[in-house]
Amino acid sequence: MNEKYLEEAEIAYTINTVMEEAQRCLLCHDAPCSKACPAKTDPAKFIRSVRFRNFKGAAETIRENNAMGSICALVCPTEKYCQLGCSRCGIDKPIDIAGIQRFVTDFEQQLDMKILKKGEPNGKHIAIVGSGPAGLQAAASLLQKGYAVTIYEQAEKPGGYLRYGIPAYRLPDVIVDYEIDRIVELGANILCGAKVGQETSLSELKENFDAVLIAVGASEGKMLEMFADNPYTETAVDFLARVRDNQGDISLPNSALVIGGGDVAMDAATTLKVLGVESVTDVAYETFSEFLASKQELAGAQAKGVTIIDGYLPSKVSDKQVTFKHRHNQNELTITADLIILAVGQKVNAEELALPIEHNEVTFEGYQTSDPQVFVAGDIAKGDKTVVWAVQKGKEAAAEIDAMLGGKAND
Amino acid sequence: MINKDLSIDFLGVHFENPFCLSSSPVGNCYDMCKKAYDTGWGGVVFKTIGPEHFVVDEVSPRFDILDKESTPFVGFKNMEQIAEHTLEENLADLKRLKEDYPDKVLIASIMGTNEEDWVELARLVTEAGSDMIEMNLSCPQMTSHEMGSDVGTNAELCKKYCQAVKRGSDLPMMAKMTPNVTDMVPIAKACLEGGADGIATINTIKSVANLDLNRKIGLPVVNGKSAISGYSGKAVKPIALRFLQQLRSAEGLENLPISGIGGIETWEDAAEFILLGSSTLQVTTGVMQYGYRIVEDMKNGLMHYMEEQGVDHLEELVGLANPNIIPTENLDRDYKVYPEIDHEKCIGCGRCYISCYDGAHQAIIWDEKERKPYCDKDSCVGCHLCSLVCPVGAITKGEVVLKPGRTGNPADKII
Ligand SMILES: Cc1cc2nc3c(=O)[nH]c(=O)nc-3n(C[C@H](O)[C@H](O)[C@H](O)COP(=O)(O)OP(=O)(O)OC[C@H]3O[C@@H](n4cnc5c(N)ncnc54)[C@H](O)[C@@H]3O)c2cc1C
Ligand SMILES: Cc1cc2nc3c(=O)[nH]c(=O)nc-3n(C[C@H](O)[C@H](O)[C@H](O)COP(=O)(O)O)c2cc1C
Ligand code: SF4
Repeated sequence: MNEKYLEEAEIAYTINTVMEEAQRCLLCHDAPCSKACPAKTDPAKFIRSVRFRNFKGAAETIRENNAMGSICALVCPTEKYCQLGCSRCGIDKPIDIAGIQRFVTDFEQQLDMKILKKGEPNGKHIAIVGSGPAGLQAAASLLQKGYAVTIYEQAEKPGGYLRYGIPAYRLPDVIVDYEIDRIVELGANILCGAKVGQETSLSELKENFDAVLIAVGASEGKMLEMFADNPYTETAVDFLARVRDNQGDISLPNSALVIGGGDVAMDAATTLKVLGVESVTDVAYETFSEFLASKQELAGAQAKGVTIIDGYLPSKVSDKQVTFKHRHNQNELTITADLIILAVGQKVNAEELALPIEHNEVTFEGYQTSDPQVFVAGDIAKGDKTVVWAVQKGKEAAAEIDAMLGGKAND
Repeated sequence: MINKDLSIDFLGVHFENPFCLSSSPVGNCYDMCKKAYDTGWGGVVFKTIGPEHFVVDEVSPRFDILDKESTPFVGFKNMEQIAEHTLEENLADLKRLKEDYPDKVLIASIMGTNEEDWVELARLVTEAGSDMIEMNLSCPQMTSHEMGSDVGTNAELCKKYCQAVKRGSDLPMMAKMTPNVTDMVPIAKACLEGGADGIATINTIKSVANLDLNRKIGLPVVNGKSAISGYSGKAVKPIALRFLQQLRSAEGLENLPISGIGGIETWEDAAEFILLGSSTLQVTTGVMQYGYRIVEDMKNGLMHYMEEQGVDHLEELVGLANPNIIPTENLDRDYKVYPEIDHEKCIGCGRCYISCYDGAHQAIIWDEKERKPYCDKDSCVGCHLCSLVCPVGAITKGEVVLKPGRTGNPADKII
């Protein structure tokens, strides 16, 4: 166990401080924050409930809309969504919507509120492949409508990247457990170590279930050709999963090199630092002006002491030594490290699931595949690749399944 | 989302929930009341309607607010009188509201200058379809001394006008009290004798909220001058609650039907008014600041409170706290409670030390090096000022001890 890795980085609000933050909210008319949430959560409404000391009502507003509400409070890139439009920016800085949401969901957890209710059983049974946020949200939505739900998950534990991707100091296991337990309590049957395509085939699922939802995410890290046989190289998602699986207790290199400029690269680099690796260098293809990682993640990595170099492409690797070339000039850069981590994107592995995948998402719009009994959701569906989008896509796919199986739309 | 029955019967009228707009600009016309009903308010007390011969002539500007630190609207001062619309317009609005919202409660607030006015207004608003009448005996800033709180502080006049209203209408009627009295009980009793069925309380408190320091004029400034006028909002809640308690603990008024008013903006405020004897609740300032939408959290929060309390009917909560507020001379003075300081939670600000030294009994010992407070039990009187100023809740109630020479078991004390 590595305490630093497991310790949550952000300090939570107390009742006094959350009231102060809620009081900063202007309680806007037609609030822009509420229009900016991909999962259509209504921040203006739950902040108002907090402002008027109705914490239970606030919890209802969040939870009824988002079965991953506690997780989103911790990992949502709010700077791109709700907080971006906040009117308070016109005065100083946006309301800390994620922080308030976290206070409310912690409150919900402490009181063990049971907000989501199982629907009257309708005799129909849905199979979901993948237990990431999309699969979990779809399960919650379907269970509330009375469907029975079985989730097939290839990994040992459910949660997808919530469990094996996002580092524990940003998203502790207890929160993931809590969210998943609630969905199990609603009646979800989660089968772990059950890869669809191996023991169970898609056609079997189609035979035994009324509909199948595929939410397998992009669960593999991309490899660059030149690193394929290098024994010191590991993909970022493999590395992060290894750390998380061992609660931070892994043998550490003296120095590490991370290649990539997105959030996953920042997570890998920051994790290395948190674990205690002396020298961590990140080399990004993008220049800072076009950086992909969120400002918060970039700042977090820098604050931990990660050296970040922008604008370079790897050109050659031999053992522990990687040579880079600058994208816009002739400069070269050589870095030697005990561990080389590639954070150059994730890819979908769905060969046995007969999906038309291009650029790591399906080629069609919406959720229903050409086989009317089979649906997709989450990262493999078209659109943004974040937890909150996975939640929204899970909800929408569940609604389409319900509509196909005879449920009323929008009820 | 929780869903519980919030309905309650008050003076024989069924309210789908206890939340009403109090008579003021928030319920000034058909469109406003319609929006309020649509947002979920159970009832509306329409803006006070006066006799045709009384010409309302308002000042501009007419409001001011009291702030504290960064909190605006701690209290709200207004210089408004009664409805500016014509009698005819008001009656037409009442009629249309009742037609369009037959299940919502419509209460007409009226105010006359003499008996004939009161009889006539009562008759007119009854004809227009109101469910109930509220007599405004309490506006503190009328330009006529025959109206408002000048009437409401005179028990005899109150009784006479209540009788007049009862002559003009057989609708249930509440008399709305002014808090600008030392004792509300004689006034309330006079109104009941005159035929009032219940009491609405409180109207606004006479006030001067702020001055313009350079010009040396009260705010708001009306052509170089200002005037004493009514204060409302959160700051008046404690005063309103005190009047509720005094009424309900007076002999003969133990079951007095009350519509509670004064500084309500959260479900917790609402629950307090109910526990001290209100069956229905009225709100103005909260709505002026935040809009009709505040009723959503008041209703939802009250439902959760009922659920926690295991209560299915709101009326079961009415007046439950009245027996627990007793005359000061009857309180148990045999013991004191020492503060307990949690040094883990303490952030070392020293506020308890300052307040105890300068405002209490010099009983907090300050460890300068560690920046930690300790309680000196010999000096401590157990006033708990320290726990009230602590910004992190690190000071709670600790050991209970009997004062010298007193008997009893400290463990039995409900602290
Ligand atoms: C390191 C990292 C950090 C991130 N940080 C954030 C962040 O801070 N905020 C944010 O919003 N997003 C973040 N993301 C993105 C986010 O995690 C994803 O968008 C989201 O998890 C996608 O959800 P999903 O349900 O589509 O798929 P996943 O979470 O990928 O879950 C898919 C699941 O399906 C299982 N599976 C795959 N194939 C099969 C099969 N054949 N049979 C059975 N099971 C199968 C997998 O094991 C996995 O459990 C991050 C991603 C990574 C990798
Ligand atoms: C601007 C304003 C106008 C008011 N006008 C009336 C009125 O016409 N009739 C009346 O009975 N009370 C009137 N009131 C008093 C309110 O109905 C209410 O009794 C008082 O404001 C306390 O409640 P609150 O703290 O919720 O505002 C007025 C109050 C305000 C602030
Ligand atoms: S946009 Fe910002 S200020 Fe406005 S309601 Fe939303 S959080 Fe509050």
